[in-house]
Formats: sequence, structure tokens, C-alpha cells
Amino acid sequence: MTIAALWREPLVQAAVWSLATILLYLLAKRLHRRWPRWWLMPLAVAPALLMIAALALNVSYRDYIRGTHWLVALLGPATVAFAVPIYEQRALIRRRWPLLLAGMVAGSLTAVATSWALAYLLGIDGELRLSLLPRSISTPFAMEVSGEIGGIPDLTAVFVVLTGIIGAAVGDIVLARLPLRSTLAKGALFGVGAHGAGTARAHQIGREEGAIAGLVMVLVGLMNVALAPLIIQFMR
Amino acid sequence: MDSAMMHRSISIQLQRLLRRNRLVQIGLLGAFWAAGDVLARTTGLPLPGGIIGMALALVLFLAGGLKVASMKRGANWMLAEMLLFFVPAVLALLDHRELFGLLGLKIFALIVVSTTAVMCVTALTVDLCYRWTERHDDRGAVA
Repeated sequence: MTIAALWREPLVQAAVWSLATILLYLLAKRLHRRWPRWWLMPLAVAPALLMIAALALNVSYRDYIRGTHWLVALLGPATVAFAVPIYEQRALIRRRWPLLLAGMVAGSLTAVATSWALAYLLGIDGELRLSLLPRSISTPFAMEVSGEIGGIPDLTAVFVVLTGIIGAAVGDIVLARLPLRSTLAKGALFGVGAHGAGTARAHQIGREEGAIAGLVMVLVGLMNVALAPLIIQFMR
Repeated sequence: MDSAMMHRSISIQLQRLLRRNRLVQIGLLGAFWAAGDVLARTTGLPLPGGIIGMALALVLFLAGGLKVASMKRGANWMLAEMLLFFVPAVLALLDHRELFGLLGLKIFALIVVSTTAVMCVTALTVDLCYRWTERHDDRGAVA
């Protein structure tokens, strides 16, 4: 069998792309540990390198995702993992849930309102604008909401990840400028603003911040999934 | 060794395995996710399986049916490496070449401005409420 024929085997492609994704992610992580700049975040570097490889080899997104979908599917069990930090911070949550709820409602409303208004100002409309709206929810939820309100779920996933990368960078700047007293506010900022990537950043800042970010991210997701039908009604 | 004792020693060994082995714990997380997924499908709940699985795990922790230690190592690993699972989703950009241009710049600007606004509003709301309740509590303590 020639190499070209071997490459056409779906199983070989799946193995190669999965391995490439994992290795480039690990490489990007090392890079970031060595030079901790926001634009060297693994979530920015690894996809960029993979995209260059895919373009060079003329591989389409469909071919790529067919082999690597199992990695995305691991977001399911990863969501279950949030039960641990949430359980460990249960005392704090029980005492402070009204504050967190207030932040989540205010943050979600700001997310939808600013996305809608800015899209309008910049002349972005139709499916693209609808795909931008569920951006502040973590991926599995966001894709669901996007499909429901008439957006393109694939694109929403990209916007969610972009929001995470940008949010983790912006979050550090906001954190340095705002006179925040409570760890609650610091965690909520990352959980509502930058979900998965932000929560990972919050975990690096502190255990409590990380747990609150994780909790708030999950709860904001739930809240927005529940509110999506209302939002569509409002926009029609 | 009688059968009751043997049963106990097996269950102790299983618990030990569960507490030490990260891979087994990740399997357990997967089992909760799968259970959540089945529940979502059979009941028609409009929630992802992971969220239902998380709720199940939380309920079991709170009810004392499951020790947090039997999930902690696996969970911490999953949370630390979660960014990896987002990587393949970004490649969807390959199908949307129209975003590599002015439109992409507009979207980038929108995300930067909107995310900054969301973070400021969320953090300030939480912090102002926090200060307000603290002051409230102080007054209560004095009175």
C-alpha cells in the first residue's frame, strides 16, 4: 500500500489528526508556560498551527472533525467534573448566591444587549448576528442555543472559543483596573465573561476564584438555555 | 475467610482503587455523563447530558452516597486540560474563509468590546452587592 492510499484510510486520518491535535496542544502549553503572553495561549496557538497544517495538506474541516470529534465529546465528562469544585465551595455559595445571581443576570443582559447593538452598528446581520448572541455561554450550551434561535452552531462554537481567548486576556486587564474587594466578583467576572478558557484562567488565580467561575459558568449556561425561547420571541 | 468478610475486603480494595486511580475516576465521570445523556433523551429535558450528570454527582455528594475523593483526581485533571477539548471546534473556521478579512476584524472588535463590558458589569454588580451586604451585616452586628 502506498502512503497516499494509507492516508486515504479514515482510521489513519483520525489517528493522525487526533495525535497532531494532542501533541500541538501540549507543545503550545509548554510554550505558554515558558512565555506567558496572552497571545501565546494554547487555545490560540494550537488551532492556528493545526489550521496551517490542514490548509497545507488541503484537508477540509469535515475530514478533520470526523477524526477528532471524540476530543470535543470529552467536554461532556469535563462538565461533570465541575461538581467537585462546586461541592467544595458549597458553604460560600449557600451564603452568597443572591450576589452571584445578580451578577449573572446583569452580565447576561449586557452580553446579549452589547452583542446585538454592536452587530447592528457594524452592519453584521442575519444568521451571523444570531450566531454571535449566545457567545457568553460555554460551548455545549451555546451551540444548542444558537441552533434554536436560528444561528449557525459551528460558527457559534468558534465565537465562544474566541470569546474565551480574548476574555482571558481582557480579564487580567479588567481585574487590574477595577477596585474589586471580593473573590466572588473576580470569579464571576471570568465565569460569565469568558467561560471555559476564563475558568481555566480563574483556577490559576486561586481555588476559590476558579470554583466560583466554574459554578457561574454552568449556571449562566443553564439560565440562558432556559431563556433562549424568550429571547427569540423578543427578537421577532 | 467467610464470604461476608471477603465481600468487605473486595469492596475496600475497590474503594482504594477508585481513590487512587485517575483513569478510573475519569471513567466514573464518563459514566455520570452517559447517565445524564440517557436521562436527557428519555425525559426530553432540554439540557446537555454533562449538566444533568453534574447535577447527579452533586446530589450524590450532598446525600453522602459518593465521596468527593473518589472523583477529585480525575475531575481536577479534566478541568486542568479542558482547553484541549475546545481546540478541534476552532477548526470550523476552515469552512468560513469569509471571516479572514474585514468581517473578521469587525467580529474581533465586537467580542473585545462586548466581553469587556460583560466583565465590568458582572464584577461591579457582584462587588457592589457584596459591599452593601457587608455594611448591612456590620450594622446588624452593632445593633
